[in-house]
Amino acid sequence: MSDRINIEVVYALPHEQVLLKLQAPQDTTVDGAIRLSGILEKHPEIDPGRNKLGIYGKLTKADAVLRDRDRVEIYRPLLADPKEVRRKRAEEGRAMKKGGGESAA
Amino acid sequence: MWIAIGSLTVMGLVMGGLLGVAARFLAVEENPLEEELKSMLPGSQCGQCGYVGCSQYAAALAKGEAAVTLCAPGGKVLIESLAKKLGVKADLSEHEEKVPEYAFIHEDLCIGCTRCIRECSSDAIMGANKLMHTIIIDACHGCGKCVPVCPTDAIVMIPYKVTLRNWHWPKPEIEQAHSEHEVEHAH
Repeated sequence: MSDRINIEVVYALPHEQVLLKLQAPQDTTVDGAIRLSGILEKHPEIDPGRNKLGIYGKLTKADAVLRDRDRVEIYRPLLADPKEVRRKRAEEGRAMKKGGGESAA
Repeated sequence: MWIAIGSLTVMGLVMGGLLGVAARFLAVEENPLEEELKSMLPGSQCGQCGYVGCSQYAAALAKGEAAVTLCAPGGKVLIESLAKKLGVKADLSEHEEKVPEYAFIHEDLCIGCTRCIRECSSDAIMGANKLMHTIIIDACHGCGKCVPVCPTDAIVMIPYKVTLRNWHWPKPEIEQAHSEHEVEHAH
């Protein structure tokens, strides 16, 4: 077994997605991987303390230890308020699709 | 010690022999046609044909239950080669050649429900619960499965823009019968 793991660090904007593949030492944490990837220099707006972090769609803490082939994801907050979007759609009279609880009305 | 070694050796030989015999006499017949059809399909498991994945579509094709025109990513070329393989006539009159597309999320509508992420078979959507979801365009193979699951209609499919970087000469139009004739001539 090699002592390095292959990981990816992703930060995505609507029209530009940065996906960095890198090899990191074993026991690298989420935070460590982000620093190692150099993504902070390219996108100074990322703040590892404020942006939520995760691995493959699951939120994780910044000190979580990575495994081989993990994809570290740097998330951005929602722009819309989910309640607001639902309310607006209800007003427009369009029913929510599958799973929208209030669609019966 | 010799008893242990001996008994384990005998056990190994007997059981190995049994497995060998069983593999020979109880072998599951795999349809070679199905395997061949499967290798012709794109293998992205996008599900646009209406089957769960490419192998299920291949199985249905092999049984003659499915039409050859169902695979959208494969396009006209695949339809023609499938039709040739199966010896059926493909009806291309209603076929519309789709241009490559990718999914795009309207950020002001995304409510972070993760439904599209669960649907995506190529991990092309990044995001988490109650956080912005974003399509990684390079990873998106344009199957469009995320579009119907979005509760707020935030996902749309966008055709790739033709740029100097990805433009290519259009493929020459080949008349099927004509070209086959010429191939025969060449030999």
